[in-house]
Amino acid sequence: MEDFLEKMAELFEEDTVQLTDIIVDFDAWDSLTSLSIIAYVGEEFQKTISAAQIVEAETIGGLYELIKNS
Amino acid sequence: MYNPISLIGKKYIITGASSGIGKATSLLLSRLGATLILLDLNEKGLLETAEMCENTTIVLSVDLLDTKELKTKIVSIVSESGKVNGFVHLAGRPYLSPLKSLNENVLLDVLKLNSIAGLELAKICSHKSVFSGESGAFVFISSVYGCVGSAANVGYAMSKSALHGVTKSLAIELAPKGIRVNCVAPGFVKTNMLESISGSFNSDYDELLNKLHPLGLGEAADVANAIAFLVSDMGKWITGSILNVDGGFTAQ
Repeated sequence: MEDFLEKMAELFEEDTVQLTDIIVDFDAWDSLTSLSIIAYVGEEFQKTISAAQIVEAETIGGLYELIKNS
Repeated sequence: MYNPISLIGKKYIITGASSGIGKATSLLLSRLGATLILLDLNEKGLLETAEMCENTTIVLSVDLLDTKELKTKIVSIVSESGKVNGFVHLAGRPYLSPLKSLNENVLLDVLKLNSIAGLELAKICSHKSVFSGESGAFVFISSVYGCVGSAANVGYAMSKSALHGVTKSLAIELAPKGIRVNCVAPGFVKTNMLESISGSFNSDYDELLNKLHPLGLGEAADVANAIAFLVSDMGKWITGSILNVDGGFTAQ
């Protein structure tokens, strides 16, 4: 979990992120960040998620659950 | 009958032959009379391609990232079945990643497969123990993204544009041996690789892709046709060229 939060902070260009943070509210949220998350999930968890699923996950915590359950 | 694109009596190694453009190229070159050594990691796919080929084929399942194994297996096959006129390096993988998620290990694997394996093949196939000594033709497969920029494709673009430099340098270096070296830069064709990429985008992506190609998306056979031309004696005065086969993508 710690590594995941650290990676999300890096991709969203923040010092830290919380599980309750809303994904689309980050200043760095855009289609390229979405692709970065997809690439990270593929490499780190060997799972495939879509851009639409990331938006539907709503929060950082929701994204973590999505990855765990994919 | 006069047929300047006939490949009867010629022999080529085709990498990435188990699917997509590699498969289409294998079928066409075989149909034109060439003997082929089909090379890929996916043995099942190779056997399927071999079964559909009209002429003699040899199947060689090998990991292109293992250059030592690659050399050993090719030299062994050639010593049994005869020397080759050249190769087409079609094996490759996409790497969709924006700069901020670029992973060095993945990037190195992409470079090793898309670019360095091609260079190793050139080294092996230009050696007198493997090259037949006549009508030499090496063809690399680049991409429109080796020619023009695209967000989230920096690693892939790096691996493909590297082949442009390789093509031109080797064209000069290998001309005295009678080996022509060329490169085909395709646009998007309907293959499984394209489907795996477009899944990462929203539904507008397919529409955008179509707009980028004035002639529409291509078929694997469209790229195979260009490759057949370049390896055949119809292309005997062409070396060091990057041939855009992209439905007009890079004309805009």
